[in-house]
Amino acid sequence: MAGNRVAVVGVGQTKYAAVRDDVSLPGLLREAVFRALDDAHMTMDDIDAVVVGKAPDFFEGMMMPESYLAEALGAVGKPLFRVHTAGSVGGSTALVAATHVQSGVHDRVLTIGWQQQSVSEAMWALSFPIPFQQQLVAGAGGYFAPFIREYIRRSNAPDHIGIQVALKDRLNALKNPYAHLHEPDITFESIEESFMLWEPIRYSETCPGSDGAIALVLASEDAAEAAAASSGVPPAWIHGTAMRSEPATASGRDQVNPDAGKECAADVYAQAGITDPRRQVDVVEMYVPFSWYEPMWLENLGFAPEGEGWKLTEDGVTQMTGDLPVNCSGGVLSTNPIGASGMIRFGEAALQVRGQAGDHQVDGARVAVGHAYGGAAQFYAMWVVGSEKP
Amino acid sequence: MAVDDSAGGEGLLRAPLVIEYPFNRTTGPVVGAFVTALRDRRVLGIRGADGRVVCPPVEYDPQTGAPLDEMVEVGTSGTITSWSWVSQVREGQPLQTPHALALIQLDGADTAMLHVVDAPGPESVSTGARVRIRWSDEPTGAITDIACFELDGGAS
Repeated sequence: MAGNRVAVVGVGQTKYAAVRDDVSLPGLLREAVFRALDDAHMTMDDIDAVVVGKAPDFFEGMMMPESYLAEALGAVGKPLFRVHTAGSVGGSTALVAATHVQSGVHDRVLTIGWQQQSVSEAMWALSFPIPFQQQLVAGAGGYFAPFIREYIRRSNAPDHIGIQVALKDRLNALKNPYAHLHEPDITFESIEESFMLWEPIRYSETCPGSDGAIALVLASEDAAEAAAASSGVPPAWIHGTAMRSEPATASGRDQVNPDAGKECAADVYAQAGITDPRRQVDVVEMYVPFSWYEPMWLENLGFAPEGEGWKLTEDGVTQMTGDLPVNCSGGVLSTNPIGASGMIRFGEAALQVRGQAGDHQVDGARVAVGHAYGGAAQFYAMWVVGSEKP
Repeated sequence: MAVDDSAGGEGLLRAPLVIEYPFNRTTGPVVGAFVTALRDRRVLGIRGADGRVVCPPVEYDPQTGAPLDEMVEVGTSGTITSWSWVSQVREGQPLQTPHALALIQLDGADTAMLHVVDAPGPESVSTGARVRIRWSDEPTGAITDIACFELDGGAS
């Protein structure tokens, strides 16, 4: 990985819920920020720069909220930078924050991703009304359903794979106190019987809309070692970072297995010295808003040959007890504050290699992948974190 | 001569786009408490890290960014610290008669808030003048529950 060493030394999350009407927007962010600073044994005064990301302004009806939030985030007199990359923004934001340290310019950077989905209907916020769209406006699930159906056709995956993913992630969420959905009574049958929203995606195979925020503290090598010495918690060292994008309407684009995702994974593995991700990666937090994206991304990210990702799901490999646990936190399927969701993946990956994931900790996790995607499956962000220095 | 404003797009669709999109926002424990208290005809400030009472209240200290949580009830009378006179009233302004826009420091508060003063004329208003709240008839939990301020003791 290019540049100076950088590590995650603080992770702070809010309780995620459908409506966090107990807090204001600044209050929501500060809940995550102070937890991250506490985790890092730092105060706002220790922070050199702040990097924030959220989904588009129209989701919450507030233009340039980063300016309004500067004081609440302790950014007065410091560089404050905003990142925009649709649903992958949480991941991209963490990567931009990492470059602030890799460059050698800053030693301690606070980065925050958030969303209050309760404020509006995010499903429709980005859709111009007819007649300004060339394609039918069908919501995110309606857009992705035909590509999922095409994945099933290509791979001959059995119909129950999606249900298995949803059941796993919702049961994992019961081990994560911050997760939005806690459904202790969920079963394979209850998912199977839930409303078919966009075939093959059922209601219980779909992410919720959540309010919430996550904050990370990233530190240079010296600052990370000092923080670890103070807090007693090891850093999560960043071994690789990568972003890729492709145009939504590019001709010849394969939306089932997009090139941008494959290239993003190849880049981040090369930086991290990973040649066999299935064997060398201990735990994965990937962006799965609809159940079938687990097998699709297992293939896209190189954990399984094309057409065989679903076999890992079916065989229990991606369960917490399997050899490649995926989304131990409950994932996007259990918690989806859009602008935060990518950074939650990155932060959960860091928690795993720091041994701080609580009841959803994978014992002995040393290498973890965080992954986010957004837009029309066109924006990708990934990082690899490890318990050892790169 | 007719004005031709077409750039050559005749025959291509051009249609109005009216964006109307509803939002629900949350106020949080400080602003929420402030506006809720107005409904009960009380005014709350908050004690800052330096001990000063900030009114209207803020969620975090303006100087240090530290969390604040000590709500302090302040008076319903106060002192004008600066003002300007609105002699020509237009639609949508807070009063439909000539009035003052004033910074008012309520008794017990260390900061001033912007509100409107109903006064007979600019000669009756001064920095240092005492004012008191005139409440709206049916408070709803908004800053407009303070219908306006009026000069304490009537017009001077």
